Amino acid sequence: MERKEVAFRIYRYNPQVDRQPFYDNFKIAVERGITILRALNYIKEHLEPRLTFRAFCQAGICGSCAVRINGVSKLACTTQVWDELTGSGDDPILVEPLNNLPVIRDLVVDIDPVMEKLKQNYSWVRPAIAEGEMGQKEHCVSDGEFEAINAATDCILCGSCYSECSMTEVNPRYISPPVLLKAFRMNNDTRDTLGCERLGQVSGDNGLWDCAHCYKCAEHCVKHIPIVDGIHRLREEMFERHMTRSEGARHAQAFFDDIRSTGRLREATLPLRTLGVVKTLRMVPLAAKMGMKGRTPPFVVKPVPGIDRVRGIYRRLEANRAAKQGGE
Amino acid sequence: MEHKFDIIIVGAGGGGLFAALEAVRTNPQVSIAVVSKLYPTRSHTSAAQGGVNAALANKDRDDTVELHVFDTVKGSDYLADQDAVDYLCSQAPEVVRELENLGAPFSRFPDGTIAQRPFGGTVKDRCCYCADKTGHTLLHTLFEQCLRRGVKFFNEYFLLSLEHADGECQGIVAMNMRTSAIEAFSAKIVILATGGHAKMYWNRSSNAAGNTGDGQAAALRAGIPLKDMEFIQFHPTGLRKSGLLVTEGARGEGGYLLNRHGERFMARYAPQKMELGPRDLVARSMETEILEGNALTSDAGSYLELDLRHLGAEAIKKKLPQIRELSMHFEGIDPIEEPIPVRPTAHYSMGGIDANMARTAVSGIYAVGECACVSVHGANRLGGNSLLDILVFGKRAGQEAALEAPRRPLRRVAPSALWKAADELKSYTSHERYERYGIIREEMGKTMADKVGIYRTEERLRQGVEEIRALRERFRHIRLFDTGTVYNTNLVQILELKNMLDLALCVAETALVRQESRGSHYREDFPRRDDEAWHRHSLCTLEKGGDVRLAHKPVTMGKYSLETRSY
Repeated sequence: MERKEVAFRIYRYNPQVDRQPFYDNFKIAVERGITILRALNYIKEHLEPRLTFRAFCQAGICGSCAVRINGVSKLACTTQVWDELTGSGDDPILVEPLNNLPVIRDLVVDIDPVMEKLKQNYSWVRPAIAEGEMGQKEHCVSDGEFEAINAATDCILCGSCYSECSMTEVNPRYISPPVLLKAFRMNNDTRDTLGCERLGQVSGDNGLWDCAHCYKCAEHCVKHIPIVDGIHRLREEMFERHMTRSEGARHAQAFFDDIRSTGRLREATLPLRTLGVVKTLRMVPLAAKMGMKGRTPPFVVKPVPGIDRVRGIYRRLEANRAAKQGGE
Repeated sequence: MEHKFDIIIVGAGGGGLFAALEAVRTNPQVSIAVVSKLYPTRSHTSAAQGGVNAALANKDRDDTVELHVFDTVKGSDYLADQDAVDYLCSQAPEVVRELENLGAPFSRFPDGTIAQRPFGGTVKDRCCYCADKTGHTLLHTLFEQCLRRGVKFFNEYFLLSLEHADGECQGIVAMNMRTSAIEAFSAKIVILATGGHAKMYWNRSSNAAGNTGDGQAAALRAGIPLKDMEFIQFHPTGLRKSGLLVTEGARGEGGYLLNRHGERFMARYAPQKMELGPRDLVARSMETEILEGNALTSDAGSYLELDLRHLGAEAIKKKLPQIRELSMHFEGIDPIEEPIPVRPTAHYSMGGIDANMARTAVSGIYAVGECACVSVHGANRLGGNSLLDILVFGKRAGQEAALEAPRRPLRRVAPSALWKAADELKSYTSHERYERYGIIREEMGKTMADKVGIYRTEERLRQGVEEIRALRERFRHIRLFDTGTVYNTNLVQILELKNMLDLALCVAETALVRQESRGSHYREDFPRRDDEAWHRHSLCTLEKGGDVRLAHKPVTMGKYSLETRSY
């Protein structure tokens, strides 16, 4: 069995004694096939008992041990030490707590913010069946009906996507990927009756329309759930339900209209169409500043060459959708 | 600090969450809180892969509750209490449908009904499932519904003691893990749903690190008897290196068990049911193969093979995706290409807090799920009956508690209980102490696996009892090196070890006394079931000096009388 001395560089912080966080270095002999969690356990048992982290099932299903390994959020229990060796294999493996959540101690973060957001956003099914008739009969669900939400029900709430989310990083009040994923999962469950209310709730301020499509949540999901597809689906549903009055929806609509008419964005009037008159007026100083730097977007936007082909795409998409609805 | 509630539920797995949900639904006026050492969705219910049994008769149209009762009673080697089994199986269709109604994404048959697959030890195909993530999805569904109902959670609180005054419930004492503050939760009713204790086999166990029997140990110390502790289920298919579990569903879907010669050896042990014999029988057969040298060998020990290749890539990907992932992560093999290396691993504790339809000896204290022994599993649990157990009895306890609470006065936890707990925690940091947690825990796991394992003899069990006693003695000198109060995991580990050691003694002592073989308890020196002498439950209580006192209790019989158990 292949063995190797591996260095670990681990984030340490105990608010009782440390003025600020620091990094601790440990070097241990590791056998190939060992997970990061087993390495952490070894360090805790033999070198530094005070090293603090969460771990429970050790099988990748409970979500307790999510940490950042070499800068990427993942589960310590399903990550192989060998896969994290970089450089010539001598660089230390960096282990840090999840991002975007307050650190309690060392690698342990406070996940109450996630729980709180789940609670605020109807992260549950409200079934059509009356309370008194619960358990009497099953919903009839065709085989493919859960296909859409199958991946989403794999979510273990480990917090990796929350940690990776670039929007949560700049706005801690942002609804966050796992909560949007739950909303997607519930709204596409044929047994649920809360679709409209939930959509209204999740699309408010700091909500659905704030996602910047950086795809980091989906890229680093430990269960490989296509989270952004779920977010897109929620946005489409807003339009299907004609919930188009929010700034986010209007912004999307403006993009949609501009590309159809000219093939490019009419940025000068975008704020007006998205925010309305009052909020746009607040942007006048910014516009002035941009003007002084010669950054004013053009007021007249000519259609791009070949605009007909762009419009052709729209026509085809609309025909597709009509055919699909007709089919249903 | 003191909290006051009508009902306190300890543990936030499936049993605890269903109890909370049902209590709120039954009586929205009662105040309820769930106290758990984990965030709810981390609980070990999430690890249950295979499914939950219910005689829905979606697959086998002639399946009935009676057949489910029969399979369960026979599977238990006739040690289960048949009134409890009747209740379990008769409620099964309703609770499964209810979970479905609440949003659990059960897999379906083409006709739209809940799909069912075969599982070990049953005559009909009645195991309902959500792919191989059944427990995970049920746990999330229950958690979501608790959020919907505004259930109050105290997450990351560790249970220190169970308090009662002359047999009337007062509440619990728990430690806030973030601050190490000791807090009293006075309550009219306490429902214990703290999960199992098979982690005492440590790395020979499929259990999560925290399945340390905290509720059972607190009950034991509070004078509540534990029942049938000698019965520990060994699951046939743990992964070779980690002990992690490969669901019985893998065999339910048609997987083969092979030895070194590529032989489906189960043909020699259970010619009819083959790989789908009951767990105790399959685990023992595998152990025999290993002992007789028919196993494959590796650095990580001897093992047998679970072959899924003939099922085809598509079936494996669709029906057993988690198993494929586990095999790749923890063994580095893809079951589509290669057989999975497996061996038996400690998996489930049939024994637990003596409970009569969820009620314990103390008025106002209930116990449900794996921490309890109702007893519906007797000497051996059937696959798919543990999720059922937590759902049915969690629900029942919640319902009864909500009805009973308004009629009970609130008796408060005595301040002395807090002082006592504080003294204990402080004592661990004493400079005169020197024993280390990791060493004692390692020896405990080894003792349990070697001396109180699948095959038991008087001699080994005697050694086991002595070794566990010695370890408990050494534990009195255990030292807590981390004296901080913020999220002190060392302190929690020590408290868990204390619980496991007390329970390990119960397991070893009851196993030594039971001179017969029944279900998961197999004595090489008494290889037959002895109904005349041993068709009865074992009870243990703790004496003042810390010794275990043993007693017995008759088994409640019903429709099915004793028969030889063969498959």
